[in-house]
Amino acid sequence: MLGRMEGDYDVVVVGGGPAGLAAAIGARDAGATRVLVVDREDEAGGILLQCIHAGFGLHYFKEELTGPEYAERFVARALDRDIDVVGSAYVSGAGLDSDGTRRVRVMREGHGIRTVRSRAMVLAMGCRERTRGALHIPGTRPAGVLTAGLAQRFVNVMGLLPGRRVAILGSGDIGLIMARRLTLEGCEVVGVFELMPFSNGLTRNVVQCLGDFGIPLHLSTTVVEIHGQDRVDKITVAPVGADLAPDLSRCREVACDTLLLSIGLVPENELSQGLGVELDVVTQGPRVSSTLETSLPGVFACGNVLHVHDLCDYVTEEALLAGRFAGELAGGVKRPRDNIRVVPGDNVRYCVPHTLAPGREHTIYLRSERPLRPAAIRVGDLVRRKLGFVTPAEMITFRIKPDVLDRFHGEALRIDLLGEPAGPHLAGAEP
Amino acid sequence: MSPVTTTLTCIACPIGCALRLTHEGRDIVELAGATCDRGAKYAAEELIDPRRQLSTTVAIEGARSARLPVKVTRPVPRDRVLEAVAAIHRLRVRAPVRAGEVLLEALLGEEGLAVVATRSLGRVGP
Repeated sequence: MLGRMEGDYDVVVVGGGPAGLAAAIGARDAGATRVLVVDREDEAGGILLQCIHAGFGLHYFKEELTGPEYAERFVARALDRDIDVVGSAYVSGAGLDSDGTRRVRVMREGHGIRTVRSRAMVLAMGCRERTRGALHIPGTRPAGVLTAGLAQRFVNVMGLLPGRRVAILGSGDIGLIMARRLTLEGCEVVGVFELMPFSNGLTRNVVQCLGDFGIPLHLSTTVVEIHGQDRVDKITVAPVGADLAPDLSRCREVACDTLLLSIGLVPENELSQGLGVELDVVTQGPRVSSTLETSLPGVFACGNVLHVHDLCDYVTEEALLAGRFAGELAGGVKRPRDNIRVVPGDNVRYCVPHTLAPGREHTIYLRSERPLRPAAIRVGDLVRRKLGFVTPAEMITFRIKPDVLDRFHGEALRIDLLGEPAGPHLAGAEP
Repeated sequence: MSPVTTTLTCIACPIGCALRLTHEGRDIVELAGATCDRGAKYAAEELIDPRRQLSTTVAIEGARSARLPVKVTRPVPRDRVLEAVAAIHRLRVRAPVRAGEVLLEALLGEEGLAVVATRSLGRVGP
């Protein structure tokens, strides 16, 4: 029920975005009767509410929905299952009781602080954007420098335009989508500048968001200075070499009043760290077992707080699973501990989960370090499969059948991506 | 009519093949660069009638947020996207509104092309 929080719970989910809602549903469907979702915004749905473009749900609903539609369907499904959802609330900590249940401290607007007991917890806080400080861009500190997602909220929810003449640093999907969005709202988008020699966004976004509107994508180029007294009036950009260092002898100035940053996302793990959850230095999310359980027993993690996904549908899939395992644990299901460590090998930036157990099917999510074509995945000496093309912008989902690990007798399973380095051939991209 | 060659980036999958398309009007004479069949299908659609899905927002009064997200019920011609957006932005909506509610019919004069709300927004305040 919306706004209800009373008694004790089987599962408490932190975060009411796509991950949290799906985790709650997964837990409920696995038999947990009392499930609570806590969200800090005044309504559930998370970042989906500002993602007004289509492209969600193709995997899960088999139809293409916008972000708000996807969110509304999930909120309705959660409420249909009698899941409690509270907004304007924070989970500010959780302690472990002697009987293994957790005491979760919930701080809620208008209600003060309350402690609820729960058998299991799911962390689903999502991620946030990297800001100018992460890159140390030199220059002045004028107004008009903001992250692409913040601009998205300004434009799509609050009805505020961040500027008129906009440059975008970083070719992540949010940046590409905002290039189109701002163009439709009457802004001039003067260009997208990407440090890497390839786009960090999905190809379809490069084509539909930039190509359609003649917005130039400058690969291997970065912003080296921001100018302006009170407001941005121009930026200096420079090409970068193979070592990614800017060549300052080939600088040029670009006039603009706004600089949007689309330079990556970081899982939001302050709560996890406060709880003492062990994090992976690469994903910056929790290290998890094959049941998506963190280093703290009974505390699970899923969605962008675990590792940054590129499609919402994958978040949903992972979160349903995390919720299911949390629900089963709350219902008393006990599983043997994982005994196989997953080790990222050649060309693999990271793998999630971090450990596996034989006898069950596993879904492994991994990301490559560079574009490869043709590419193949090698899992120890157990499996080798062709993948066609891989790029860091597209997460790889790989399923391991239950019987495969029965043939494995080691302690560490290494996963490699094999292939020739490749660049996506983007018509219209210029250096 | 003499053959014309254009280049397209295929968006059927993440590879993004660079397609070199030679065509006489609407007839594709030669297609190079595609690494699978989907490239041919994409090229044909893109050549004859390129269309795009379109989402934007409209002003809403009496709701918790200032903007109501909307979408078109089917893709609009690529060359008329800005025209379609201008027509949609003229809409003014008062809460409450339900997701899926039709706000404008026959966008661009096209039968069956409607603008619908993509979220429900209840009425707040007076």
